[in-house]
Amino acid sequence: MEINILVVDDSPIMRKMIIKTIRLCGLDIGQIFEAGDGKEALEKMQEHPVDLLLVDVNMPVMDGIEMLERVRHDPKRKTMPVFIISTESNPKRIEFIKSQGADFLHKPFTPEDLRGKILQIVEMQ
Amino acid sequence: MEKSFQNEIRKIAHKTFEVTCYMFALDEMEMDEESLISDHTTEETVSSLVTFQGAAEGGMVISADEELFDAIAANMLGIDVATEEEKEGALCEIANIICGNTVPLFAKDGNICIINPPKIIKNGELYSDGFEQFYEESFHVSLDEGTAYISIFYKRV
Repeated sequence: MEINILVVDDSPIMRKMIIKTIRLCGLDIGQIFEAGDGKEALEKMQEHPVDLLLVDVNMPVMDGIEMLERVRHDPKRKTMPVFIISTESNPKRIEFIKSQGADFLHKPFTPEDLRGKILQIVEMQ
Repeated sequence: MEKSFQNEIRKIAHKTFEVTCYMFALDEMEMDEESLISDHTTEETVSSLVTFQGAAEGGMVISADEELFDAIAANMLGIDVATEEEKEGALCEIANIICGNTVPLFAKDGNICIINPPKIIKNGELYSDGFEQFYEESFHVSLDEGTAYISIFYKRV
């Protein structure tokens, strides 16, 4: 089954890098959408079917934590797989992310790290 | 006297360049650090500045020599030649990752640092403006595809 992914990061280069890695994963990937902040991401999710979110934390307009909270308040997306990809190191903030049912990937990450995380999700689906 | 963070930041930089850009650290040459840092400001360099506040206030500036500036984006994206926009974006992302992994060093008693989005500063701009009263550490990181120059300015709050 194809999965559609939304990559949310204010850095276009990081989005490109993540998308390149996803494409190399050898998975059955459908469409990959992009957004530069949490607000734009929520709008994209209204327009397109999304199965997996990869989200940065520090972004302008709406950061990844607020976006995650809003996603979890939406009954349709309470259990949607979310990866937070960030340099965040504060244990309390990471604990909060995990308490929201999201997985966490620390930057810098290797393509293998990202591939492994996506594979875990796909196998659970 | 502030504790030096140079060794820790250097390790963070090495890991970031290795994991993100497939670049590896060279053995540091016997060079006078101060002259190397001052010399690089005369080259055509592009720098990225990331400021932060919270447990400490300050900024980190990462400059790349021409060779490194060209290679970072190309390696990150797996392409031969990157556009100028991609090169600047890649340098900003590297600065963001290195600074993001550095600021936890200042965290104390639950007080953390929040970092701001990186921005490009062109050659000739005086990035140290506004950091005159801050503690400063500057050093270089030699990599197999060029040299990065890192300065951190900070003041504990």
